[in-house]
Amino acid sequence: MLLLQILLNGLVTAGIYALLAIGFGMVYRSLRFFHIAYGAVYTAGAYILYVFYCKLGFPLVIAIFLGIAFSVILGILMDTIAYLPLEKKGATAGVLFIASLGTYIVIVNLIALLFGNEVKVVLEGIQPSFNIGPLILTRLQAIQFIVAWGTVLLFWLAIRKNLTVKALWAMGEAPVLLKVLGFSWKRLRIYAFGISSAIAALASILVALDVGIDPHVGMHAILTGAVAMLVGGMENYWAWVGGAFLLAMCQALSIWKFSARWQDALTFAILILTLLFRPQGLFSPLKRREER
Amino acid sequence: MMNDGLMIKGLSKSFNGFFAVKEVTAIFLPGRISALIGPNGAGKTTLFHLITGELKPDKGKIIYKGDDITGLPPWKIAKKKIGRLFQDVRIFKNMTVLENVVCSLFSSKEESLFFSFYPKKRRVMDIAFEKAKDLLSLVGLRKEENRRAGELSFGQQKLLAIARLLALGAQVLLLDEPTAGLSVSMRERLLELLKRIVAEDNKKIIVVVEHNMSVVLNIAHWVYFMNEGKISFFGRADHVLGAKEVRELYLGLSA
Amino acid sequence: MNYLVHIAIMIEIYIMLALSLNLVLGFGGLMSLCHAAFYGIGAYATTLFMLHFHVSFLPAVAFSLAFTAVIAFLLSFPALRFRGDPFVLVTLGFQIIIYAILYNWISLTRGPYGIPGIPRPEIFGFQITSIKEYFVLASVFLVIIFIFLIPIYNSPYGLTLKALREDEIAAESLGKSAFRSFLTAFVLAGALASIPGSLYATYVTYIDPTSFTIDESIFQLTILLVGGSGNLKGPVAGAIFMVVLPEALRFLGLPSSIAPNVRQIIYGLLLIVFMFFRPQGFLGEYKVR
Repeated sequence: MLLLQILLNGLVTAGIYALLAIGFGMVYRSLRFFHIAYGAVYTAGAYILYVFYCKLGFPLVIAIFLGIAFSVILGILMDTIAYLPLEKKGATAGVLFIASLGTYIVIVNLIALLFGNEVKVVLEGIQPSFNIGPLILTRLQAIQFIVAWGTVLLFWLAIRKNLTVKALWAMGEAPVLLKVLGFSWKRLRIYAFGISSAIAALASILVALDVGIDPHVGMHAILTGAVAMLVGGMENYWAWVGGAFLLAMCQALSIWKFSARWQDALTFAILILTLLFRPQGLFSPLKRREER
Repeated sequence: MMNDGLMIKGLSKSFNGFFAVKEVTAIFLPGRISALIGPNGAGKTTLFHLITGELKPDKGKIIYKGDDITGLPPWKIAKKKIGRLFQDVRIFKNMTVLENVVCSLFSSKEESLFFSFYPKKRRVMDIAFEKAKDLLSLVGLRKEENRRAGELSFGQQKLLAIARLLALGAQVLLLDEPTAGLSVSMRERLLELLKRIVAEDNKKIIVVVEHNMSVVLNIAHWVYFMNEGKISFFGRADHVLGAKEVRELYLGLSA
Repeated sequence: MNYLVHIAIMIEIYIMLALSLNLVLGFGGLMSLCHAAFYGIGAYATTLFMLHFHVSFLPAVAFSLAFTAVIAFLLSFPALRFRGDPFVLVTLGFQIIIYAILYNWISLTRGPYGIPGIPRPEIFGFQITSIKEYFVLASVFLVIIFIFLIPIYNSPYGLTLKALREDEIAAESLGKSAFRSFLTAFVLAGALASIPGSLYATYVTYIDPTSFTIDESIFQLTILLVGGSGNLKGPVAGAIFMVVLPEALRFLGLPSSIAPNVRQIIYGLLLIVFMFFRPQGFLGEYKVR
C-alpha cells in the first residue's frame, strides 16, 4: 500500500518534472543552448509569488499571474542582455554555458541576499485531502496534477495547431525555413525564452505552494529538467514527457526501496546509463551518425 | 610495385538506403599523382572518409602495402603514414605555425606521458623544432613560424597543412580539393610542391580530389571519374578528360 | 601572522588543484565538473587509511593517490565517449554520485557527521605541529608537483593534448589517439587532485562532505576561467586571486550572514564578465570554447 501511495505521489511529481523538461527543452531544442539560468528563473518565479502574496497581500491568483509574468520578463531580459550579445560576438557553446552558469549564480544569490537562505512557507496550514480508495491525495497535489498535466497537453496542442509554436519547435532543425515562412529569428527567440520562463515559473509556483521555497531549489529543478529531456530524447515532445515520467517513477521507487537521500545520484546514474547505451534517448528513434 | 600501392576493392557505403559509395575498386600507385574527379555529391569525399577510417565501409576492403587496413580508426591509419588534407583545412588555430608542424614530428613513444621525464626529451624537442623550421622553409612559410596559425590566409593554411603531412612522414597524401580558394601564385607553389614530393620519393602516393581540370591535366598521371558513388571512367589524365562522354557528363551536370 | 600563513597554505592547496585541472581543461579542452570529487576522494582515502589501517602520512598519501587514480581511470571510460555539453553533464553526474556516496555511506565515511580527529602528519619521525611547519610541508608538496608538471606541460605529450583540443579530428588524422591522450590526462588530473585533498584533511583535521560539493567543482573551474589555463601562470594567478578575494572582502566588514552570498555573486559576475571580455582569463593561453 505504501508503494501505491508512493507511485501516486510519483504521478503528481511526474507532471511537474514534465513541465521542467518542456521548459528547458524549448530553449535547448530551438536555440541549441544549455540554459542553466533556467533554474534562476524557476527560483525567481516562486519568490515573486511570495512577495506579492505573503508580503504584499495580493490575492493568490493575481500573485501567481504576476509571478509568471515577471519570470517571463526576467527570462527575456537574460537573453537580451547576456546571451544574445555573446552569440553576436561569436561565442561558442562553452562560453554560453559558463555565462549562463554565472547568471544563475548571481540571480540565485541576489535572491538569497534579499530574502535569506532559509526555507519560506507560502501557504500556511495543512492542506485538505481526500481519499481515493486507501490512498490519500491532498487538494494541492490534485491541483498540481491537473495543472501540470493540463499544461503539458495544452502545449502539445499548441505545437500541432499554433503556427508560432510550430515554428519554435522547428527552429532548431531547420532555421532557414523560418525566413522563408516569414518569421523573424529574433522574435522567435524572445518567444522561446518567454514560454520557457513561464513554464518554469508555473512549475515553481506549484511546488512552492506545496513545500515552500528556498533560493537553492533552482539547481535541482534545472538538472531534473535537463536530465529528463536528455533521457527521454531530443526528438519529440512525448519523449521528454516520457523521460520526466521515468525519472519521477524511479525516484518514487528508490524512496520506497532505499531512502530519499540517493535521489540525485539516481537521477544522474540514469542519465549516464542512457547516454552510454542509448544516446539518442530512451524514447527517440536512432539518428544516423551523419545527422548528428 | 603493386604491393606498395593503395588498393580499394569493392568498397560500398550506404546511409539509410542511399548509396554514397557503390562497389568502388581502384588502385593508387606510388610515385604518381592520381586524381579523383566527378560532380558534387558523387562520393569522393566519402571515399576519403572510408580510407582514413572516419567511416566504416559496409562492404569491401582497403589494402595498403599488402596490409588490410579496412575499418581501422583514423589515428591508426595515420600511424601507417596515410595522411589527409581536409577541404576546410583544419589547422590548429591557437597554436603557432611552428607548433602545428612540430606536433606531427614525434613518434608514439615520444608523445607518451613518460617521455616527458626522459633526459633526452629536450634534445629530441630541439631537433624536432629545427626539422619543423626546415619543413616550413620547404613550403615557404618560414617567416610566419611564430604567428598564431589562425591568422594565416586560407592559402597559407593549406600549405601549413601540407607541411604537417610531410612532418608526419605521410607516404600517402589524400588531398581534398587542395587548390580550392587559392590565388594563382599560391596554386602554382602548391602544385610545384606536390610534383616535387613524388619526384623526390617514388614511394609516395598522392591522391587529389579536384574540380579544376587544368590542375588535373597539370599534375595527375591517372584519373578516376566518379559519379553517383561509382567509378564510371578511369585512365590517363588526357584520355579521361578528352573523352567525349566524361566531358558531356561532367559539363552537363555542372551546367 | 598565523592568519597569513593560513592563507598561504590555502593558496598552495588551490594552486595544486588548479594545476591538475589545467591538464584536462587548459590542455585537453574538456570542461570537467568532477574535480572536487577527486579532491574529496583523496581527502577521505588518506583519512581512512590513516585512521583505520594506522599508516603514517606519506604511505597514506601514496595509497590515496593510487586509489584516486583507479577511480579516475574507471570513470574515464564512460566520460570520454562524449565531448561538449554531454561530457560536462557526465562529469557533473560523477560529482553528484560521488558526493552522494560520501554523504550517505555513513558506515564508511560517517556521512554528514564528518570525520574529526585526523592526525597531523608525521614525516620520517618528525611530527608536524605548528601551522608554520604545515606551511613548509605544503610548500614541499607544491614544489614536487611543479617539478612533476612543468616537464609535462612542455613536452610532446602537452603539444598532443593541445592539438586534440584545437581540432580533435585533424589531430587524429595526424596519428594522435584522442581516447588515450585524454584518458592519461584525466587520470593524472584526478590522481594529482588527491594530494591537496590529503593535505587539506590533515590540515583542518576534520572533513565532511560539504567541502567537496558541486559548488567546490565550480569554484575550481572558476579559478581556471578567471586566472587562465593552458599554461603555468594562469592557474597560479587564478588560485591566488580567488583565495585572496574572499579574504579581501572580509575587510569590507560585511555581516557574516550575507558574506557567502555576496562572494557567490562576485564569482558569478566574474564568470559573466570574463566570458564577455576575456575568455582566456587573466594570463591564460586557452580561450574557452
